[in-house]
Amino acid sequence: MTSSLERARELLREFPVVDGHNDLPWALREQVTYDIDARDIATDQSAHLHTDLGRLRSGGVGAQFWSVYVRTDLTGDAAVSATLEQIDCVDQLIARYPKDLREALTAADMEAARSEGRIASLKGAEGGHSINNSLATLRALYALGVRYMTLTHNDNIAWADSATDEPGVGGLSAFGREVVREMNREGMLVDLSHVAATTMRAALDVTEAPVIFSHSSARAVCDHPRNIPDDVLERLPANGGVAMATFVPKFVLQAAVDWTAAADDNLRAHGFHHLDTSPEAMKLHRAFEAAHPRPIATAATVADHLDHMRDVAGIDHIGIGGDYDGTAFTPDGLDDVSGYPNLVAELLDRGWSTADLAKLTWGNAVRVLGDAEAVARDVRTRRGPSNATLAALDG
Amino acid sequence: MADLQDTLNAPAEAGELDRPVPTGEPTDPHPDEPDPTEPDPTEPDPAQGEHTRSDAHDPAPDAEPGADTARALLAEHPVADGYSGLSTALLTLPWYDLELGESTAETDLPRLRTGAVGALFCALRTDPAGAPATDPVTAALEQIDLINHLVAHYPEGLRSARSASETTAAHAHGRAAVLIGPAPAAVMADSLGTLRALHTLGLRVLTLGRTSWATDEGLTRFGEEVVREMNRLGMLADLTGAPRAAAARAIAMSQAPVVFTHSGARALTGHPDNVPDDVLHALGESGGLCMVPCSAAHTGPRLRDVADHLDHVRRLAGPESVGISGTYDTGIAHPEGLADISGYPALIAELLDRGWPEPDITLLTWGNVQRVLRKAEFTARAAQRRRGPSTAKPDDKP
Repeated sequence: MTSSLERARELLREFPVVDGHNDLPWALREQVTYDIDARDIATDQSAHLHTDLGRLRSGGVGAQFWSVYVRTDLTGDAAVSATLEQIDCVDQLIARYPKDLREALTAADMEAARSEGRIASLKGAEGGHSINNSLATLRALYALGVRYMTLTHNDNIAWADSATDEPGVGGLSAFGREVVREMNREGMLVDLSHVAATTMRAALDVTEAPVIFSHSSARAVCDHPRNIPDDVLERLPANGGVAMATFVPKFVLQAAVDWTAAADDNLRAHGFHHLDTSPEAMKLHRAFEAAHPRPIATAATVADHLDHMRDVAGIDHIGIGGDYDGTAFTPDGLDDVSGYPNLVAELLDRGWSTADLAKLTWGNAVRVLGDAEAVARDVRTRRGPSNATLAALDG
Repeated sequence: MADLQDTLNAPAEAGELDRPVPTGEPTDPHPDEPDPTEPDPTEPDPAQGEHTRSDAHDPAPDAEPGADTARALLAEHPVADGYSGLSTALLTLPWYDLELGESTAETDLPRLRTGAVGALFCALRTDPAGAPATDPVTAALEQIDLINHLVAHYPEGLRSARSASETTAAHAHGRAAVLIGPAPAAVMADSLGTLRALHTLGLRVLTLGRTSWATDEGLTRFGEEVVREMNRLGMLADLTGAPRAAAARAIAMSQAPVVFTHSGARALTGHPDNVPDDVLHALGESGGLCMVPCSAAHTGPRLRDVADHLDHVRRLAGPESVGISGTYDTGIAHPEGLADISGYPALIAELLDRGWPEPDITLLTWGNVQRVLRKAEFTARAAQRRRGPSTAKPDDKP
């Protein structure tokens, strides 16, 4: 009798993980100002990063949406320029490691990468601030390979409300709805992680294509605004979308949610932003942790979410989005990108079938991108590119 | 250099064999370059006139050079126009029809055909539609998007081109090649990563106008790194409007030819964009290209003023370093007879009347741009083997 872990690894060899969100580009920007020689991911980078090629391979990762996130204090043209720098970083990684990474722009590219044994590399933008209220800029990001855009990050933007901000336009404004329609027309997936529940519902009302949640878990399991309410999960079968469960302990484990609130207060009390990951801030964070032991999430914590999401949304509408290198802390057993087999083993132990697991790891995410492409082909025959402006639609 | 040149340059190389080598300067790269102090540039050069008549490629050696010859030459060697404001002009129009003719613009498909335009460099602006230049990166992305949609909308007349070969292919298919650029340096927001993304989107010419790294002192270390990165990418450096010291440094250090996309001769017209004689000479020595604009302010109010500037640039920089840019749809006044983009045959007829050898005409209209694009691509391929993408940042941001 082979162990669950061995069976998990075997399964992942055939149906590798499509991960919805990895912040390696931002980590490279912050740590070494994009000097990718200084963080050669062909070598072990576990001292600095959650991600390197060796651990992606042992983690059974077959496709990665690399986040081209930029901070929300970058606004207007500065956000656009920084996003282009992030895109350039991903392009450099793909060019530098051609044996391991393959640029993927379509579902077919993802399948081709899998059959070649390379990791399909896609790009996802994280926050509508990256397009500076310009639909032409949205199209430029698509032309540069960006295949999803999270509508907001942690702060509201002019046309969409964030989960972690006060209510603004009450979901999506008229321009926000036009952004969703234009994303449908391009074939860029609408990502509803980070957005307010009102924005999730508004986007589902207007979108013609399936949506994704690139890294969000279930609010019914852990009550955090970054997670997805059941009424939204229930809409995914009709929409065809995929919710990719994230691993971030402070979103998935209630004790960690509470602990994090206290730790954030501590950081702010010392003059740091609560999301600061600078060495100084991390040192303070570690000191707090020494005094107040951090609640430990595990693969089982994430599996609890996936069990619930499968019950509510259905097996065809769930996936995985680890948020590695975008979070300071990770669950035990899912410490870095080599950890996915532990999660699959946990789900095997809970009785998930291999067919279900193949959908979770690979099939659903590839399907949703292909469906978005099909919708775009159809929409493009019906309408041309939109050049609507925020001023014209929202006054 | 011959291995870099398109076959369309062949007549020029054959023509050069006929040219007399001035005594005392056997190594001069432009052996037919007359003495810059020669008095009247509009006076037809008897030696060059004779050269034209003796040229084997002249289809009608005994006919008066004129409109028919110009059209015949342009059919094979169309104009590669170094500066068009079309995309910016169209941004302000609610609708337009370039196929049937667009009276509010100076460019449309019928006039591109009449004007024998084979390639159009579409300039980007940081202040399109008169908006304040607060968002240059976004403005660049919006104009690139418009150019892409324009080309997609008129597939019978326009074809997107990213390289010398694609430019030639577009002409071979009877389309005007559309290249993206020049764009002001502000569009790269002092970021080489942003510059590379813009290159990926098709930008092929960047204007090193006044920036924090291109000043009256020359180029800063970052400015030099920008030029090196452009060399590595195969993006042309445009020096029109660049501070003089910065232009001189770029000419000296760039491994690929540099261009002035819309500059005349300062010796003839004192416009700040125009190029002084010593810079023209250095440009010619370096294999660069000065594209004379059809702009009344830069050259004067008459067609023959433009021809005077072309004469002067050809004499100073050499026949391999002179080109044409229309500057149409940029909102500026054009010389009489060159009011819109259909006027190039008349300009070429004027140059033939002045005794320009036909090989030099073909270089002027098409060959020089081809050579410069090819050399830039060749330089990029070589540079990419030597160095990776630069991570340099502006000098004041260590």
